[in-house]
Amino acid sequence: MTTWTFIVKNALRNPRRSLLTVSSVAVSAALLTSMLTLQRELTVPPESEGASLRIIARNKVSLMQPLPARQMAEIERIPGIVAVTPFTYFGGQYNDEEFTSFAQFAVDPARFRSLLVEGRITEGDYDAWVKDRTGCMVGRDTMKRYGLKVGDRMKFRGTFYPCDLDLRIAAVFEGTVDDRGVFFHHKLLDELTGDLGTVGTWYLRVESAEKVPGVIAAIDGRFANTAAEVRAESERAFQMGFVGMLGNVAALIRTVNGVIVFTLALVSASTMSMAIRERFREMAVLKALGYKRRDLLGFILAEGFGLSVLGGALGIGGAWAAWTLLDIQKLTGGVFIVFEVTPRIMATAGLVAAVLGVVASLGPAISVGRMSVVSGLKTLD
Amino acid sequence: MGITGEAWGWLGLVAGVAAGFALVAGLARLAGLPIQYNLRNVVVRWRSSVATVLGIAAVVAVFVALRAMARGIEASSASTGDPDNLLVVRKGSQAESGSLVTREQFRTIEAFEGIARNAAGRPVISAEVVAVISAARAQGPGEANTLVRGVTASGVELRPQVRLVEGRWFEPGRREIVVARSLARRFRDFGLGGEVKAGRARLRVVGHFEAGGSAFDSEAWMDADEARAVFDREPYSSLLLRPAGPEQARALVARIEGDRRFSLRAEGEVDYYSKQTMTATPIKYIAAVLGVAMSMGAVFAAMNTMYASVAARTREIGTLRVLGYSRRAVVACFMVEGAFLAAAGGMAGCALARLTDGLTTGTIDVQSFAETVFQFRVTPDLMGLGLAFAVLIGLAGSLLPALRAARTPVISALKSA
Repeated sequence: MTTWTFIVKNALRNPRRSLLTVSSVAVSAALLTSMLTLQRELTVPPESEGASLRIIARNKVSLMQPLPARQMAEIERIPGIVAVTPFTYFGGQYNDEEFTSFAQFAVDPARFRSLLVEGRITEGDYDAWVKDRTGCMVGRDTMKRYGLKVGDRMKFRGTFYPCDLDLRIAAVFEGTVDDRGVFFHHKLLDELTGDLGTVGTWYLRVESAEKVPGVIAAIDGRFANTAAEVRAESERAFQMGFVGMLGNVAALIRTVNGVIVFTLALVSASTMSMAIRERFREMAVLKALGYKRRDLLGFILAEGFGLSVLGGALGIGGAWAAWTLLDIQKLTGGVFIVFEVTPRIMATAGLVAAVLGVVASLGPAISVGRMSVVSGLKTLD
Repeated sequence: MGITGEAWGWLGLVAGVAAGFALVAGLARLAGLPIQYNLRNVVVRWRSSVATVLGIAAVVAVFVALRAMARGIEASSASTGDPDNLLVVRKGSQAESGSLVTREQFRTIEAFEGIARNAAGRPVISAEVVAVISAARAQGPGEANTLVRGVTASGVELRPQVRLVEGRWFEPGRREIVVARSLARRFRDFGLGGEVKAGRARLRVVGHFEAGGSAFDSEAWMDADEARAVFDREPYSSLLLRPAGPEQARALVARIEGDRRFSLRAEGEVDYYSKQTMTATPIKYIAAVLGVAMSMGAVFAAMNTMYASVAARTREIGTLRVLGYSRRAVVACFMVEGAFLAAAGGMAGCALARLTDGLTTGTIDVQSFAETVFQFRVTPDLMGLGLAFAVLIGLAGSLLPALRAARTPVISALKSA
């Protein structure tokens, strides 16, 4: 019998206990992986290649404060801009469902085209949408979720704007980080609201990434000390602003993660010491046979580490498979969209499991190392 | 002062727990179970007992604390408003921030009969403007949104919950603002004398108010007409009014909602706020998912402890059987042991979660997009729920080991070392 078979046999001599230990580590590891993914989903918005070229300009007061539509001409005059479109969040309720998880935006379709860097039209026709004043362009995920096809109508009740929408699907896009949105003509919104002369935000594309800081400064400067001061920021910075607004929720998730790791440590430490304590006599025999303290330490650590890593691998793999295969959008009613278990998250969870395996075996290993052969042989457990 | 509802809740919790223990002890005595033997065992094997108890405590603590957070959000909405007030918003809007009431509508409704009158003979009605400003956080970089409410003198009068605790109220016609004290701690410029920027406008903080944990504790108030100027708003957002009596209230609701020109909705202020709890829903969802997943881990851990404890006691079980205890009695007493361990864990977990009670925290409100501040509320019923959850984990974790104990053949059990 080699040292390794000895370790494996020892680990499997109480298969039920090993199974339970592995399972509880697996559940905890799966949970940790999921929570880390949740944390990432909430705090690291998905990045897209086009984002580095896009800028969002909002009212300096707050995102909820509209901007005057007349600013458009001024912004277009700033050098380095490829296109600018109004970008107004409509916030409608789709078909009277209580919570509509996809957003609707009013844009200028002709200008919006060059902002859709990574998106492509898979069904219908972009030009048809440009021409159809009551038409809309819909993300593939939303089409799939509601079983829609080109030509169907979508009805929205306005919760922010005092008007309702009745749109006809003219085109379907996909390939952006969030293929859920519905885009429609800003002109239609203006018509329905009696031309308020306002837009929600400005959304623009810059020629090259190097010109972005200059354009941001130019926009902010242009409207400084006017009735509607503007805050322009890169699309990325804008998204991160939302993360800041989550407030203490991110810290809360971190605390929960800490508790999970603590529980994980507790469970594995308790089982390892249980497994070792009932073997005290054998350990004494091994010692009497001439095995060194180091060897015994090695046996115990290898067993604890092995069980813990096995549980970790199962849990992390299970979580990865679950979140990759399951339709997270459908499951959470569209609250979460990506929920990607990244290699980094898996490595973090794996590292936690491995370290815990070692830490959990340290206690029993130390007491085995300390015991004298005589007292060990006397143990009756 | 009489006994409050909360105090009754605590009494109920204590009584419930005591009754639970008494019931188990009584049943055990009736069935002739050696409960003392099991309880002593828990103490003797304290190392594995402590690990199980702490594991379950962690699960229960997370579950109860998350539910307490959701409860806090709900409590803040539920405790907002005065039962005598009516709130008028645009039909179809989900929050005041998405509502519009024109000046004409206000003038028309103001003249309606049935609205209470103040000492000066003016109708008690407040046309208000709700806007959102982005302000710098007190700690760290970044900004968050704050809800600003433009109110009139009657607006303050209509909300007895709101009390000035420092400084003074804003003066009409001046760019002054009074912020909730709970917000003052979270934003950089919200201290007395601070200057809050709203675009080009500068608003001086002249006072702090407290609103008894209601939704107003997440707001900043200023003069309604100044707010319309600063935020460049022609229409108001909502109307708050006090009907002269319940009969007049019904008549007013019918008249406002029945008028086709308006497209407005009127409802009790209390009813309106009690529905604004959408922010709590995802937290409850996460609490449920985490509770189930973590409890699975805890069940495995408890099973491990109980199996080890059964295995180590084979001989003792044999002895019990020889003494005449039935298989069923053995199953029952091991399950009681598991439930007891878990209940101890549940209590420790509830005690831990209770530490979060009253903790003030804030997050973005999904309806107004402004920061909402609330306190964790660890109420007796949540703790009861946590305890029940713990006992369930204990029973689930000890069922299989208990069955195994009962199946142990007597002779071999006695022979085992």
